[in-house]
Amino acid sequence: MARMKFLCDAERCIECNGCVVACKNENEVPWGINRRRVITLEDGLPGEKSISVACMHCTDAPCAAVCPVDCFYTTADGIVLHDKDLCIGCGYCFYACPFGAPQYPQREAFGVRGKMDKCTFCAGGPLPDNSDAEYEKYGANRIAQGKLPLCAEMCSTKALLAGDGDVVADIYRQRILKRGGRPKTWGWETAYPEGEA
Amino acid sequence: MIGHSRRFVFTVALLAALGGCYEPPEVTLYEPGVYKGTTDPLLEKLRSGERQSQLLERFKTVQTDR
Repeated sequence: MARMKFLCDAERCIECNGCVVACKNENEVPWGINRRRVITLEDGLPGEKSISVACMHCTDAPCAAVCPVDCFYTTADGIVLHDKDLCIGCGYCFYACPFGAPQYPQREAFGVRGKMDKCTFCAGGPLPDNSDAEYEKYGANRIAQGKLPLCAEMCSTKALLAGDGDVVADIYRQRILKRGGRPKTWGWETAYPEGEA
Repeated sequence: MIGHSRRFVFTVALLAALGGCYEPPEVTLYEPGVYKGTTDPLLEKLRSGERQSQLLERFKTVQTDR
């Protein structure tokens, strides 16, 4: 069984934010919520790198582990989804998520949180596939149509990949072999330079 | 006569108010790690090998390096 994963190749990402726009447009994401964001490291400096971040559909998802009402479920191929009818908007998942993926609409005064919203890997939610109700609540269900997330499908530089983790890893491995190394923007050597550890 | 009609109106209003306070008695008892929401029809579709091969074909068509 495949395990669906996102991978953003920082060497290829040009910070065009096309993935963010595609996601918002495809899923009619409300104003103030970004299911996907592009993060730039060392912005404006030589060697700056950008990565596109959304829900990474963790195998052992911390959001699901802390949810007090267990509104999360995982599909057979590893897509982490949630039921907005169960969500109480407590925000625990936001604090647990290392990627800041869970988002909350703030339509009321005093910072009252609405139901959590996050990337669904374009797989909708627990409502009839491609129904109006599903689209309104969770966005598009491209997986049910045999398509993959639009953010990755429209990425012009093929920096963002989304699909079976094994196939994605093979592509990335070939790229690394061709380049002769991995980027040094982050990792152990960057965090602990020699002589400072 | 007026007293009767007032009593009738009061009774109807009381019944309406009490009816508005009704809550369904079904309560969801949460258990750690058990999802008790609506079943996603997509789950069944994704178990089939046909959908998997369709998604793989899509990936090869759209996302592989050129």
